[in-house]
Parts: sequence; C-alpha cells; structure tokens
Amino acid sequence: MQGLLAGLLTFTVYFATQAAAFHWIKVTRRAVALVGFWLLCLPTYFPLFRWIPEDAVIWPPPLAAPSDAVTFLNGILLYFFLFMGYAQFFYMAESSVGVRTMIELNAEYGNGLTLNDLTRYYRYDWMLARRLKRLAHAGYLVEDEGWYRTTPRGRIVAAIFSWCKRLLRLGPGG
Amino acid sequence: MAGPVPGVDPRQPDNRLMLKGLILSFLGFAIFLIAHVAIFRLMTLERRFRTMVRIMMVVGCALLIAHRITAPDLGFLPHEYTKAGWAIDLLNSLLVYGFLFIGYSMFYFLVDRGFSGRIIIEIESSPERRLQASGIAARYSLEMVLQRRLTEMLEIGRVILRDGRYCNTAKGRSAATMFAFVKRFLQLGEGG
Repeated sequence: MQGLLAGLLTFTVYFATQAAAFHWIKVTRRAVALVGFWLLCLPTYFPLFRWIPEDAVIWPPPLAAPSDAVTFLNGILLYFFLFMGYAQFFYMAESSVGVRTMIELNAEYGNGLTLNDLTRYYRYDWMLARRLKRLAHAGYLVEDEGWYRTTPRGRIVAAIFSWCKRLLRLGPGG
Repeated sequence: MAGPVPGVDPRQPDNRLMLKGLILSFLGFAIFLIAHVAIFRLMTLERRFRTMVRIMMVVGCALLIAHRITAPDLGFLPHEYTKAGWAIDLLNSLLVYGFLFIGYSMFYFLVDRGFSGRIIIEIESSPERRLQASGIAARYSLEMVLQRRLTEMLEIGRVILRDGRYCNTAKGRSAATMFAFVKRFLQLGEGG
C-alpha cells in the first residue's frame, strides 16, 4: 500500500499543479507542459514514499507489502499509469470532434441539429490547419509551399498505423 | 489453492507474494491482446470497443481466479520477492491490468479514430506522396468526419436521431456539460 498510496498522492500533486497552471496561464505548448509537470512532480514521490508509514505498521497482513525496491518502483508505475489515463482524458476534452459535437448539441437543447447544421458550426480549414501544424511541429510532416509530405518519422507512423488497421480490420478510420 | 512454500512458517499470515501479481497482470494483458486480435480478425463487429471491454472483463476474471489458485512463487520466483500480502498483490495486479488496458485503448483509438493518423496515411498513400490541405479535405471531408462520430455516438447512446436531427441523450448532456467545464477551466478553447 505504501507504494500505491505514494503514487496516488504524487499524482494528486501533479493533477492540482497542472490544473492550476492551465487555469491561470494560457498554455500554448500543452503536450510539453503536461509531460513537463509530470516530470517536475516526480521528485515529490520520494519524500511521500518515506513519509507514509510502512505497511506492516498500519495495514493487516493481507494488505501489507515490504518496503522494498519492488514496492517503490510499483508506486512510480502507478504514477505513470495514472498520468497516461489522465492524458487520454485531457486530449479527449481538448481535441475530440465527438466531444465538441456533443457540446454544440447541448447548446441546441431540445431542438437538435442536422448534419448540415453541424458542418456550419465547424471551421474545417481551422481544424485541419491545426492538426497539420501540430504534425509538422512534432516532426511527422514537412510543409513546402503549401504541400505536405511525410518525414521518415511520419512514414514509420503511417506504416505502423496502416498495419494495425489491416490487422484489426478497422477500415480507413480517422 | 496454493500449498505451503518450503522454509516459510505456515502459521504466519500469507506474506509470500509480491512479483506474482505483476507477472500475472502482464500475462493477462498479453492473453487479452491475442484474444482481441483473433476476434477482430475472425469476426465482423458492430460495436468494437464494447467487444474489447468484454474481452478485458473475461480475462480479468480469469486473472483473479489464477491469482488465487496458483502458488505464491509461481514455481520460479525467488523467495525474497514473494513477501507481500495476497490482497495487496491481487489489488495491484488488477490495477496494473486495468491501466494496461486503458493505455492500450488510448493507442487503439489513436489508430482507429485518430484524425491526425488518417492525415499522415492519406499523404503517404497519395500518388505523389504529398498533398495540400485542400487535397486532404477532398479525401476526407468534414461531413465524413462528423458522420463517423455521430454514428459512433448513436451506437453508445450519447445521441439520438429524431426527425433527421441529432440530439443529446441524458448521458450525452452530462458528458457535454462535464467536458465543457473542463475546457473552460483548463482554457483549452473550443477544440475539436
């Protein structure tokens, strides 16, 4: 429990710090900020792990684990997994077209919207430009006078994604 | 149930586990992946993610049973790494298994639904292996993007179609309200 609790508390510190920062500061490089805060809060795990009493002192035997390296690393693993789960939620809120659609539908409570109505709410050029800019910034694409081509990194990702889509018979997707 | 381990006092509480749970969770996840790929290849599925969740639950139950019936050292673990209580080991095992599934789901959605992934694939598969924004839009239009999302949301009960108009269900309204709050609080903009 010592490792799990320390991992959970460290994630709580991370979550509060990240949420406060994003609330008070207009963050532009969000991915860098998310990972940066995660790394910044990682050192708090060490004092928290030391501060939490050993399991044998407070927990019954079935819930007690020795304070060894495995327990210590297990807490860090939990901190990492919680971050991964949160990142998934964060990007769903930030970029998901489905979420944005539900928010647009909420604004039209009761009346609903047709597919044509919804297309008017979206600025597709903006949506596309935003993604192209991100992909170029992350090194997956290069832009040359309005033409986009994949970098070696982009080609690897395209090959992996295409292979996974074929393997799982997912269709073109997107 | 597991028998006593030589050299360990059986009168003491079960304090002989530790790595077992971690090993079983990774093993369980590997079994989930194999079953997931096999089912997706062999069957045409309407609700893919629901199927994934069901496979995860079945393997999770098997993991729980395996944890209780196997030896604390799994027959090969060194004794010094088998000293945690069974309940914490099981809890940890299920947590790790659950998070591995969540992590994999993130990858799965990126592959299946990722707009950016689709853009890279469209560029890579174009005859000249280069496209302008207008070329991408021609291959994957906004109507196609929205239609796919709306169909998925209809399937999972987030929206309903009434007289040709899409409306949020109660579930959809709650999700929209929650995400709208998160977007406002974290200054994420309108997004999408």
